[in-house]
Amino acid sequence: MSDATKKFVITRFDPDRDEGPRTQEYEIPVQSDWKVLDAINFIKDEIDGSLSHRWSCRMAVCGSCGMMVNGEPKLTCKTALSTYGDTVTIEPLANFPTIRDLVVEMDGFMDKFKSVKPFIIVAKERAVEEGTHRQSPEELQDFKQFSMCINCMLCYSACPVVANEPEFLGPAAIALGHRYNMDSRDDGADERNEIFRGEGTVFSCSYANECSEVCPKNVDPAAAVNQAKFNAVVDWATGLILPRGGEE
Amino acid sequence: MSGAAHPDAMAPPQPGRTRTAPPRKPSSWPAHPRMRVYTLFGLTGVVYFAMGFVLLYVFWQLGKGDAAWMSVMASMTSPFFIAFHVLSLISVVFVGVRFFRLFPKSQPAKIGPAKPPPQPVILAMLYAVWIGLTGLFVAILAGGLF
Amino acid sequence: MKHLLLRLEPLIWLLFGQGILIGTIFLTGWLLVVGIALPLGWVGFEPGQALDYQRSYALSSTVIGRLILLALIALPMWKGAHHLRHLSIDHGGADRDAAVALSLYGLAALGSIAAIVAVVRL
Repeated sequence: MSDATKKFVITRFDPDRDEGPRTQEYEIPVQSDWKVLDAINFIKDEIDGSLSHRWSCRMAVCGSCGMMVNGEPKLTCKTALSTYGDTVTIEPLANFPTIRDLVVEMDGFMDKFKSVKPFIIVAKERAVEEGTHRQSPEELQDFKQFSMCINCMLCYSACPVVANEPEFLGPAAIALGHRYNMDSRDDGADERNEIFRGEGTVFSCSYANECSEVCPKNVDPAAAVNQAKFNAVVDWATGLILPRGGEE
Repeated sequence: MSGAAHPDAMAPPQPGRTRTAPPRKPSSWPAHPRMRVYTLFGLTGVVYFAMGFVLLYVFWQLGKGDAAWMSVMASMTSPFFIAFHVLSLISVVFVGVRFFRLFPKSQPAKIGPAKPPPQPVILAMLYAVWIGLTGLFVAILAGGLF
Repeated sequence: MKHLLLRLEPLIWLLFGQGILIGTIFLTGWLLVVGIALPLGWVGFEPGQALDYQRSYALSSTVIGRLILLALIALPMWKGAHHLRHLSIDHGGADRDAAVALSLYGLAALGSIAAIVAVVRL
């Protein structure tokens, strides 16, 4: 087994001790098949137990281990260490406040998430006798891609609008709202389109497409956001001709 | 080092129990190749804005009569306008290519009952319209038609 | 102001979208002829030539000519305004956004009005 070593420059921040974030360097032996997360876990387990970071599934489905690796947002469990040179820089996810070391404050994201009403809204509750919703494979395809989001927040770190406009709903939240708008079982598009044209407006998106570039699950949130713009315009235009309240 | 993001970027609805470090932009910005392309794309806004006003001036002169038209057309051959127009043409082609690449996936799966064509078809249609209408425009302006 | 901008966003986005689509398509042809062919002498504007006053006026003053000119002049301004506004936001300009947006869209609106006047008076 090769015993190469790599140097890791990791952002540290302890609110009880540090004025602001600082970096700490660790030089460790690495294995050729490691992911970046393996190195961080090694550092925590063997070198410095005070290092704090989030991780869970190790297989890119939980969305916990998002961090900036050499300035780009990555799922560290999915990112091969071998793609990097002798020095690897690891920082907490960009555009988020940092609670400690590599752990970011997620509540802002959860708040935006909840605001798009990410659940089936029915105009009229179905009676039990009517049975379940029926949905064709074609109807599923209309939104399936956007349902694959694991809430890893890499897209928020990549988005120039998130960095500069605090009210912007952001890629994942809009993609999820759009997912429900496109779901044939849902009747909540009117409500969500109002949210999409509100303070967190989808029109703030400048189509940098960075969110889709970094998404580890090929959700393509940029597509969702820009489709949502189209739908929001149609909703706005029909609202001019038929003011809401004209339909029951 | 990365620059500071907006101090309220991704801020929680209520402050957390401990002090947080302020949000920072990715350290790969703005030098990252994709971010450079994106910034250039935004900067073409200057070119488009300027082109609009140049065209406004040109056709305002058309409305003033023969002498004004001759004068404005003659100025189109000046080094300044040649450079501006070449820059504009590069910008317009760059914008077209990037925009057309991103346009097909921005069409919703359906609006009411209407479904868009498959994405490769949309892309082909966009280029066909671009090349076709450009060809038509050139033919008309250059005297080949009408 | 911010509320007004939010209400107008769908319309601004439509104008911007057409600016990029129609503006790009029409501008390419214009630039190839007036920007490249004209200085090279392949197309002329002297009497009897393709872009002389008589022919240019005749083409521009048709109904379809006026509509195309209006699109050619005004729509690129909206693309320009929208992208420059976003560029301002991208560079830390969220707090000044209302002022920047008002200025840029206001300029595009004035330009569009001037474009309407320009094509109507042909």
